[in-house]
Amino acid sequence: MINRIIGWVDQRFPITAIIKHEATEYPVAPNLNYWWNFGSLAGVVLVLQIVTGIFLAMHYKADVTLAFDSIQHIMRSVNYGWLIRYIHATGASAFFAVIYIHISRTLYYGSYRGPRELLWWTGLLLLLLVMGAAFMGYLLPWGQMSFWGAQVITNLFGAIPLVGGHIVVLLRGDFSVGDPTLTRFFALHYLIPFIIAGAVVIHLVALHTVKSSNPSGLPIADKDNIPFHPYYTSKDLFGVGVFLIIFCSFVFFVPDAFIEPDNNIPANPMQTPPHIVPEWYFLPFYAILRSIPDKLLGVVGMGLGIVILAALPYLDRSKIPGGSRYRPIFKALFFVFIADAFVLGYVGAHPPEGPMVLIGRIATVIYFGYIVSMPFVSKWEESWLRKRGLPAPVQKYLDEQAAGGTK
Amino acid sequence: MKKYLLGIALCFATVGAWANEAKLPKIELPTSPEALQRGAETVATVCLSCHNLKYIKYSDLSGLGFSKEKLGALSVGHGLDDSLMSPMSAEATKQAFGITPPDLSMMAKARVGGPHYVYAFVTGFYTNDKGKTDNHVFPGAKMPDVLGAASAKGEERTAIEYKAKEVAAFLEWAGDPKAQERRGLGRYVIAYLIVLTILLYLVKLRTWARLKEHHKRKHT
Repeated sequence: MINRIIGWVDQRFPITAIIKHEATEYPVAPNLNYWWNFGSLAGVVLVLQIVTGIFLAMHYKADVTLAFDSIQHIMRSVNYGWLIRYIHATGASAFFAVIYIHISRTLYYGSYRGPRELLWWTGLLLLLLVMGAAFMGYLLPWGQMSFWGAQVITNLFGAIPLVGGHIVVLLRGDFSVGDPTLTRFFALHYLIPFIIAGAVVIHLVALHTVKSSNPSGLPIADKDNIPFHPYYTSKDLFGVGVFLIIFCSFVFFVPDAFIEPDNNIPANPMQTPPHIVPEWYFLPFYAILRSIPDKLLGVVGMGLGIVILAALPYLDRSKIPGGSRYRPIFKALFFVFIADAFVLGYVGAHPPEGPMVLIGRIATVIYFGYIVSMPFVSKWEESWLRKRGLPAPVQKYLDEQAAGGTK
Repeated sequence: MKKYLLGIALCFATVGAWANEAKLPKIELPTSPEALQRGAETVATVCLSCHNLKYIKYSDLSGLGFSKEKLGALSVGHGLDDSLMSPMSAEATKQAFGITPPDLSMMAKARVGGPHYVYAFVTGFYTNDKGKTDNHVFPGAKMPDVLGAASAKGEERTAIEYKAKEVAAFLEWAGDPKAQERRGLGRYVIAYLIVLTILLYLVKLRTWARLKEHHKRKHT
């Protein structure tokens, strides 16, 4: 009976072929480590956010006079409303934690390198979309930090020459953040996740065309690949279990860890909090913004902080394959970059006074220095490694490449 | 575990808050239902003269284990479904103190340090050089020293401190009445997830044990 139904569908829609192509016969390198779990984990968190978000939207009121109260209504009167809301609020932080680890893995193993440029770019696009969704979602509780965060960030667009003022009004729907801002942010916050879901499909199509990279630094021969299902489905599910233990520990025992105390005070346009801090996942970029003395250049720098990463496949000019496996300088600089991102995050959380200003500027220079110097460093590293003598597998790979090129 | 998680969380979030929090004395909050009930009574009889707790209804207080009689006495003149609102209007309090007193339902969540802030604030009144009452935690506070902390000494002071702890504990409850239910459910959820994850790990091990077989089949 089941087979007959599947056969009926298959004649009209290639369901069996899709399952084979994307799962049961989709070839994956056998040596992926647990750092490769974070892509599917990001997908799990996206679903979690969409599902909890839809239930929150059933009880939330996007109106400046009602928004704050409606959150408390959800927390206190809706059945398990506290659970849904805490999952959603913690989920935002979990989403960024997972994505940042996913991106760090891409940088460490050089996964962005050809032929995976489009995979990398769709991934960066996804990061920007998630940031947009998170920023707009943060306004919805209509607390002090919601309001002033939105006020500060929308204000940045005013630095754009000529049209800046118009863009700010367009974003806010008014001259300052108010009811029109709240309603449009709510509408867009509901829309963007579905655009994200669509972009995830594109990201996956690109992935299944070029296949996953792997930690060996060398491409894996086709014959050595193993099917995604059941090997990586079982490995990913174990990863989901570990993730859920950590995630639920936050949701049930320290759910306020990611909620600023100030955001439990209703938004008050007449009273600026002494210290406006964005959520932790924006802090490094906020630090870059504040480290550049010129307002417009600061905004450009903040945007470039992400956009410039798109150029990495072309800036990394080393012929040595892969990422850190056979490239000690590349590896060392990766850790400098990650440490630098943490320093920027620390600076972003503190008022720009005293040593923070200088530390922020140095860290900003290092951040962009890592990227801009990559063409030179990667070339220099390659010639240095060649002089020292390449490991046999790398030499073999390069010889094969050279032979393939002359054929 | 809670402390450990909080540590991780603090590495990422609310970094700006450290400096202020360090100044607040960490107090041991009472947890017994009786202490929370006394805290509720103090809030209802003292704080509620000027402040509101608009997210708390009298009927919510039954969650603290109040008997029907006590609850009836506490809510005299109100219905059980009424919120805890001050008899003074916002305009009247503004005229008396120059500001509208903030709503207290979220007070223990809306200040860095939470209930510790509440405790430090209500016990933090003192008489300054000019003979005026001021507050260590919130200099220039408009609120009067309702518990009489500025002049109290010895046993009287101890009694006030205990009262303040009860108030802080009650306000912590008021900020998140579902906290106990949340932690109770959380234990089961985590226990379930640990068992599930161990099983998933075993599934993963068994699946990957077949890998050699898979390769043999492929190459012959």
